[in-house]
Amino acid sequence: MITVKTPKGCKLKIAGKPSLDLDRLATPASVAMLPARIPFVKPRLKVKIGDRVKIGTPLFEDKRRPAIQFGSPGGGVVDEICFGPRRIIKAIVIRLDDNEEHVQFTSLTAQDIEAATRDDLIKAMQDGGVWPFIKALPFRDIANPEEPVPGIFVNLGASEPFLPQSQVYLRNATDLFESGINLLRKLTPHVYVTRPPGKAPVVKALKHLITHTCKGAYPVDDPGVQLYHSKKSSDENRSWYIDGQDLLHLARFFETGRYPIERIMVSGGNLAHANKHFITRTGIPLATLGGCHDGQAAAGARFIVGGLFRGYTSEIDSYMGFYENALTLIAEGDEKEAFGFMRPGYGKPSSSNTFLSVYNPSDIKTDCGMHGERRACINCGFCVNVCPVDILPQFTYKCVRADEVEESLANGLLDCVECSLCTYVCPSKIELCARFKQAKEAYYKELT
Amino acid sequence: MMKPIRNLFDAQRRHFAQGGKFERFHPLFEATESFFFIPGLSTQSDAHVRDSLDLKRFMSFVILALMPCLCFGIYNVGYQSLMASGKYPALLPAVISGLQTVLPLIIVSYTVGFFWEILFAIIRKKEISEGFLVTGLLFPLTLPPTIPLWQVAVGISFGVVIGKEVFGGTGRNILNPALCGRVFLFFAYPMRMSGDAVWTVVSDKTADALSGATPLAVAALTPSGETVETALTSANYPIETLCLGLYPGSVGATSVLACLIGATLLIVVGIASYRTIIGGVIGVLAVGYLLNLLASETSMAWLSLNPWHHLVMGGFAFGIIFMATDPVSSPGMNASKWIYGFAIGALTVLIRVFNPAYAEGVMLAIIFMNLFAPLLDYFVIWQRLRKRLANV
Ligand code: SF4
Ligand code: SF4
Repeated sequence: MITVKTPKGCKLKIAGKPSLDLDRLATPASVAMLPARIPFVKPRLKVKIGDRVKIGTPLFEDKRRPAIQFGSPGGGVVDEICFGPRRIIKAIVIRLDDNEEHVQFTSLTAQDIEAATRDDLIKAMQDGGVWPFIKALPFRDIANPEEPVPGIFVNLGASEPFLPQSQVYLRNATDLFESGINLLRKLTPHVYVTRPPGKAPVVKALKHLITHTCKGAYPVDDPGVQLYHSKKSSDENRSWYIDGQDLLHLARFFETGRYPIERIMVSGGNLAHANKHFITRTGIPLATLGGCHDGQAAAGARFIVGGLFRGYTSEIDSYMGFYENALTLIAEGDEKEAFGFMRPGYGKPSSSNTFLSVYNPSDIKTDCGMHGERRACINCGFCVNVCPVDILPQFTYKCVRADEVEESLANGLLDCVECSLCTYVCPSKIELCARFKQAKEAYYKELT
Repeated sequence: MMKPIRNLFDAQRRHFAQGGKFERFHPLFEATESFFFIPGLSTQSDAHVRDSLDLKRFMSFVILALMPCLCFGIYNVGYQSLMASGKYPALLPAVISGLQTVLPLIIVSYTVGFFWEILFAIIRKKEISEGFLVTGLLFPLTLPPTIPLWQVAVGISFGVVIGKEVFGGTGRNILNPALCGRVFLFFAYPMRMSGDAVWTVVSDKTADALSGATPLAVAALTPSGETVETALTSANYPIETLCLGLYPGSVGATSVLACLIGATLLIVVGIASYRTIIGGVIGVLAVGYLLNLLASETSMAWLSLNPWHHLVMGGFAFGIIFMATDPVSSPGMNASKWIYGFAIGALTVLIRVFNPAYAEGVMLAIIFMNLFAPLLDYFVIWQRLRKRLANV
């Protein structure tokens, strides 16, 4: 058992934490797939408006690797295909039938899986639209089955404030989880399971599968952090990873032979209508997911899909994407504040000791304000203190800005897990992480 | 209460916006407005949430930490002045007399410095950085109280323009701007910056003024064979006085006690690095004890001085706490900070002992180490990166 500790990181006390309660949401009138929100993919559409689709019918494939299919999240009629600038496909909306049909893929028992070849399994997952759940470090693109796999990390953590908790989605699903692990073992013998920090009761049942434990705060349980602190050689850099809940989908896909649409999602943030977990399905409209009360969102709320640090801002009339299971609503925070820099700040969130909020035991209302203006870097080193993978963000930033590729890589650019903690703490409000992401992407494009 | 101010800014904004008649002065408008209001910007990319700490608050803490030094300095300047003029230094008259001397220094420092800041901000079309709030106060606190105001203006101009702006402004400067100005004055106008007469303002010239030498001067002039300690005590500078700071010296740097209050605040809120400060103290003690070993009956009195005296004499405490910890001009890595602090402490003592002409060794030591800070970082980072498993 490997224990990963990051003494660094920051304690985030953000108000609006979702409870572990689980409610069922009613089926919406339509669901959608958002190709533009899937990183790196170049979608080639396989349907047009008016087509009838079943659950699991391929809606598009990845032009880069056409074997990879993306299945329909619902059965019904393709109602709308929304394009964005440069004809990116923003959404494929399906109006649902009352009785939705499924595409029937082959279902496999544990013995079948044991007997199947690696290639057969990969092909089945690609055809069934579940392969994209498996991603590869360090670029976090969909895993390429032709490349060697040093290992797969299964991530049970959700220390980013407010993602679905593994103790909720693993309830009654420990067997399913175990068959998922067996499935992954067909891809590589090195399957690692990280136990999330804290004391989740369900995870105890899976004790025999756990290979990594961790201590610390966000993002200590991120697969990238786990890899960085446990790798023995550079060969492991291209390890794969999968989210714990997504592994259940893989297992369910083989168990039922159907494209899995059920999801456990979470709605949080101090402006959310309900702060808890929901059983629902992939691709639902945001408004359904606790964001609204009688069709009305809280005034001044920002809809954040996929987490406060790594997620994106969404319109209220949009849908949940393929990977996203979390909606967070907090205030936009665009109000000016008089003499803000002199206030004692008992209610102001900060990881520094410069506000009285260090002595505030409760969670603190947090908004999307910058809380200051962009300034030059003063080399205060706050960013260094929070980076979970020992990067020196302020120096790496300089290399990246100067386009020094070799130098940036030597500084560990590719180890960056894109957690944005450096951006969060920077008193000069420098968006370090965004820049690192860009640089990684540019380098990735050069490689491929 | 804030409403009318808010409205005032909102009404005037268009004149400073692009195309407005005062477009060029936008940085000034922005700086003034953001002094009153944290601007209502929300995150556009990267993390959705941000820490509440910004540079303005960061710098405000340094100013807050300087307040004990400033207040005590005002009192002390007045006290020394009254004493020298043969008057009884009661609290209130001392403070009033001190204010008369110190306030003009600070006002000139801020006004002239801001003039340059604004000018460069307009030329560069950049925001005005808060760093100057600190520089503008640090600088006068290091000066002798008798300094003519025009020299304050020249010094701060040098500090801001040559020490900072030619490098590209706050964040890019290698040297600490306040210190740069101070050192410039020291070399350009040595008469005004040294000698016994400059440390006390004597208002009543007719009175039989007696201005004392500073403890450093006393120590430097101690004949060999006598100990510095006795020389200090007979000059009425026992170690308690040195700690408290009630003796002639630069405006705000005499009181070790006041400096320590500031240091505690800065370390607790995490704005100054304790590594630099402790490193500095260790440096002074280490070299001090080393010199003790070299001392003999006939050698310089300095050599046998108990090193703890070095810590409380002159501007060492002020320098290591407020100047050396300036994040921009000090190294960024923790290991380099220890070395940097240590070297400053060591150099301070060496300069004091072996070059009594530059009695105020700490300034030169810090400026010198400022130059080496990038190099220290370079080696520490190189060491650190060697340990990383490559990921390419
Ligand atoms: S560099 Fe920044 S975004 Fe990257 S891992 Fe470190 S703290 Fe996170
Ligand atoms: S936190 Fe910001 S200002 Fe401080 S060193 Fe890092 S990048 Fe520079």
